[in-house]
Amino acid sequence: MTKPVLIAFILSVSASLSPPLWAETLEDAGFKTPLKQLEFTPALEQYQFERSNFAALQVHDPLELVNRHLYHFNYKFDQYVFLPSVRAYRYVTPKPVRTGVSNFFSNLGQVPTSANSLLQGKFKRAMHSTARLLFNTILGVGGLWDPASKMGLVKVKEDFGQTLGVYGLPEGPYLVLPFLGPSNLRDTTGLVTDFFGEREVNLINYAEISRRNPELYGLQIIDMRYTTELRYGQLNSPFEYEKIRYIYTKARQLQINE
Amino acid sequence: MHVLAILFCALAALLSATTAVSFQLIDEENYGFPTHNPFQATIAGSPVELQPQLIGSEQIKQKDYQLRLRPEREQSLPSNFWPVKTLHYRLAKQKKPAPLIFIIAGTGARYDSDKAEYLKKLFYGAGMHVVQISSPTSYDFMAAASHYATPGYSPLDAQELYYVMQTIAHKHKNLPVTDWFLTGYSLGGLHAAFISEIDQQQQFFNFKRTLLLNPPVNLYTSVSNLDQMANVVLPELYEGHDFYQDVFDKLARYFERRGHFNFDQAILADFQNSPERFTDAEMAMLIGTMFRFTATDINFTTDLINRRGLIIPTGTRITDGTSLTPYFEIALLCDFSCYIQEQLLPFWQNVFQAGALEDLIQQTSLYAVSEHLRTNKNISVMHNQDDFILGAGDLTFLEQVFQDRLILYPYGGHLGNLDYVKNADDILEFFHD
Repeated sequence: MTKPVLIAFILSVSASLSPPLWAETLEDAGFKTPLKQLEFTPALEQYQFERSNFAALQVHDPLELVNRHLYHFNYKFDQYVFLPSVRAYRYVTPKPVRTGVSNFFSNLGQVPTSANSLLQGKFKRAMHSTARLLFNTILGVGGLWDPASKMGLVKVKEDFGQTLGVYGLPEGPYLVLPFLGPSNLRDTTGLVTDFFGEREVNLINYAEISRRNPELYGLQIIDMRYTTELRYGQLNSPFEYEKIRYIYTKARQLQINE
Repeated sequence: MHVLAILFCALAALLSATTAVSFQLIDEENYGFPTHNPFQATIAGSPVELQPQLIGSEQIKQKDYQLRLRPEREQSLPSNFWPVKTLHYRLAKQKKPAPLIFIIAGTGARYDSDKAEYLKKLFYGAGMHVVQISSPTSYDFMAAASHYATPGYSPLDAQELYYVMQTIAHKHKNLPVTDWFLTGYSLGGLHAAFISEIDQQQQFFNFKRTLLLNPPVNLYTSVSNLDQMANVVLPELYEGHDFYQDVFDKLARYFERRGHFNFDQAILADFQNSPERFTDAEMAMLIGTMFRFTATDINFTTDLINRRGLIIPTGTRITDGTSLTPYFEIALLCDFSCYIQEQLLPFWQNVFQAGALEDLIQQTSLYAVSEHLRTNKNISVMHNQDDFILGAGDLTFLEQVFQDRLILYPYGGHLGNLDYVKNADDILEFFHD
């Protein structure tokens, strides 16, 4: 009998039934048991997660009652006034104009960044920021394009709240500012200082012009909302207030230590 | 006799060759997904340059809508729940008649979570109308759409999702829809499987195709794994240090060296090449932590809505100004397994059947719809060989049930390769005529 022929036939049939891409012999389909290499705490000693979170919830927040009301106020203002305005702004202005507006205001924001970098003794940073400002103002027609980004000078931000932090001023109680959102006593002080500092420097006469054309403030605020990615509710948790409070506090510490 | 024996053997061999379970395994060498660490892949996703070209947000005609499904809760829920008293969903419309795809979000995720947004762009760019729906485990769905607000029993969760989907279809009945498609990722994939079965009985949509993306097979295995990950041993952590501080210290050192602060997904790959990089245990802890927060939110929300008094004493008055931190602390103590024991199981025994935990697990896992999945050739599943939400034997189950409708990737962790160009192609290919 033609045994070898039969076997060859069987082999060829089964081979044609299973092209190389189709696996069938792997044990448990090749499951790689990704958790096997890790070690887990026995059930009775599990505390790391809890301890870390209890520590994270310790943020000095004596004005919590007011802060929470302001958080809800900001959230509602955002939903019913701010974001609809941003949508309208997006609807009426073409994208190149919006980008130009954003670049213009962010360029203006470089004034406090330069000053604060100098104050924090970060001379290289100050040079960097100043160079950026000059490039953008001179080359970029008042900052309407953002040539510095394309030239590799990445946008950095320093504010007076950070400067105060670098000099060891504690952050003080957590605050939720109306319209502006999370802050603390130190950063609120910084915010006010930067605002007036920006007026003093009077780059391309903006302070002067905006005093006469208050609608520019409106545009600046809408642009600020347009360029801020935060959306209330995005953390999708009944504990969003706690989470924002923690993230804000930590992000500021990181910025100060950088 | 001899010849017969040989023939018999040949037949047996042929039979075994044809019935041998075979699935589509993506070959490791040709796959090209660069991150072979399942935890890093899960956190960082695909490198930007290996992601598919997506349609720009400005070109998508979309809007968020809301459904008023539980008017009674508008009064009974505390005022600080105001954002979730109606159920929000997102619809992106094409200008001409097109198929419509429903996307069911994963554990604890809202309709607009990153992954749902990514899938929307992918499908919209391929010419479909897209509806994004929150997971029944997301606190907005619990508050605004769910009757019992105790998620985890898949047949019920799927029923409630199905009702939401029908309501949405009804609300937009003038939208020209040519075919109905369905997909879901992670827990949403499990829901999609149950929804597909309900639809087969009710014939409302008659889904042309359904795709499950990295679904849990045994729901209890998955939640136990995720619970475990938040209890991983961190050998580098000094006695008395807390985990977040450790993470932030590393990030601070890294940014200090880099010279500027900028945290986005792209930076993680660079960070993982720096001396400060996270260990596997730390990454597992980060992932476990994210899921544990979902368990925390579920614990709190279900207790509040059902007034069980386990976390919030019954009769407590909660207003916009009330500090929720004390309840947050209590809810944090209870992980997914604890939630099942304390809230889901008693609820299920009360309302559905006086069964044991094993019965609940059986009925809420993919096993419960295995016949439906086995016989419906328009349902496929994509999964990864290194997905940590799976346990031993889960892939064998998928292999036996789906056979050639299982596409298995060698890497990606949990959904880390969802935005990899090869996966994107495979996903669109599945829905393509």
